[in-house]
Order: sequence, then structure tokens, then C-alpha cells
Amino acid sequence: MEHLAYVAFGIYTLIILTGGLMAVLCRSMVRALVGLILTLFGVAGCYLLMAAPFIALMQILIYVGAVSILILFAIMLTRAPAGAEEAPYIFPWRSLAALAVAFLPLAVIGGMIRSGQVAPLVPPEEVPLAELGQTLIEPYLLAFELISVILTVAMAGAVILGFERRIGK
Amino acid sequence: MNGITHLEMYQFVSLMLLGLGLFGLVRRRSLVGMLISVELMLNGAGLSIVASGQLTPASAAMGQLATLFVMGLAAAEVALILAIIIVVSRRFGHIESNNLRTMRG
Repeated sequence: MEHLAYVAFGIYTLIILTGGLMAVLCRSMVRALVGLILTLFGVAGCYLLMAAPFIALMQILIYVGAVSILILFAIMLTRAPAGAEEAPYIFPWRSLAALAVAFLPLAVIGGMIRSGQVAPLVPPEEVPLAELGQTLIEPYLLAFELISVILTVAMAGAVILGFERRIGK
Repeated sequence: MNGITHLEMYQFVSLMLLGLGLFGLVRRRSLVGMLISVELMLNGAGLSIVASGQLTPASAAMGQLATLFVMGLAAAEVALILAIIIVVSRRFGHIESNNLRTMRG
């Protein structure tokens, strides 16, 4: 059973890595989006492995169901040239700079993870939904209300931005 | 598993997502590509929070709900950025971040 978990973790990690590389390296935006969706499914698998099925479900519902569709709309509505491809890179400077930018935090945080004092580990346990709801309305009440305000404001802002041209005329 | 704990394994996966996101954010030239990279980073953050909540004595429910908030914020952020991208592409005809140089009201 223990080994099966390691195998599943390895498979999910492989899915996440493949999808992430597709998301940052593919020149076609649609393929990059497919890579992102692959990564989202891999992360959902990791949540399942950590006995958090509710979060895994929310990950698929919110990210795969809503966020990726919104990004697809962004690709479609910008009327990008066929296939929404980025221009090819003439000089590798940009990739080199990106590698440098990504490497520094990786090295620092990776070193901290390896050397830091880790709290005693407990085997993951599934949290019943009722307890999640109770936490949402007791310690997290303010955050819960604030996030609904933020979502409303973001939605209203998006609509206003979208209508901006028509108001200006 | 030569000394590497489960928590560290998950943290390294989320660190990998952070690195990929940063790499893509600097490398990409279109706004949509940068948006995809930001989503990668946010996913890494969520994975890290849930791992910390589930695998240590810290409250698991609070960890899971914090990740739910991250997801809600990501959804709000994507909706706003979609609107911004549409406005930019209407005004400039493209979404290459290198060539977005003018700022006019």
C-alpha cells in the first residue's frame, strides 16, 4: 500500500512536470493551456493522495472548469494570429534571464526546505465536510465575507472594463 | 527514501511549480502566456498550503480552506486579467508585452 502511494505520487509529479513544461515552453498558446490543464489535474491528484478529496474536487471544478475556460476565451477574443503563436525567439537572452530568475528562489527555498526544522509529521486524515463548513464560518468568517466582496468587485470591474470603449464614444 | 519526508516531497513539487511559473513569467512575451504562468505559481502555493495542513499537526481544515481562498482569488484575478487583455488587444491590436509602451488615459 505504501509503495502504491509512492508510485501514484511519482505519476502525478510526472504529469505536473510535463504539463508545466508544456505550459511555459510551447509556442502555441492553446497547447500551453492544455499543459496548464494537465498540471491542474496532476495537482488535483496530489490533493487526493493527501486525503483532501474536497479540495481536489474544487480544484477540478474551479480551475479546470472555470479558470481554463476564461483563459481560452482570452486566447479567442484577442484575435491572435493563427494558432495564437508567439514570435520565435531570436536571441536566447530572454530564456537565460528567465532561467536565472527562476533558479535563485528555487535554490534559496529548496535549501531552506532541506535544512529547516520540520514539525513532527502525522499521517493525513480526511476532514469531514461539516468541520470544513464550521471552520469557514467561525475562524475564517472575515476572510469568507471578504472573498465574496472581492469576487463581486472583480466581476463588476471586468464588466466595466469590457464596456469601456462604448462609454468613451 | 533516504531521509526525505513526505512533506518535503510535496513542498519540492510545489517549489517546482513556482520555478516553472517564474521561468514562464519572464520568458513569455504575450499577456496570455504570462497569465498561464501566474496560474502555475498559484497552484504551487495551494499545493504547499494543503501539504502543510494535512501532514503536520496544524489544523487540516484551515489549510484546506486557505487553499480554497487561493482558488477564489485566482478566479477573480483571471476574470479581471481577461478584461484587461481584451481592452489591451482592442487598443493596440496585439498583446505582446514588449510593445506595450504607451500609457494614455
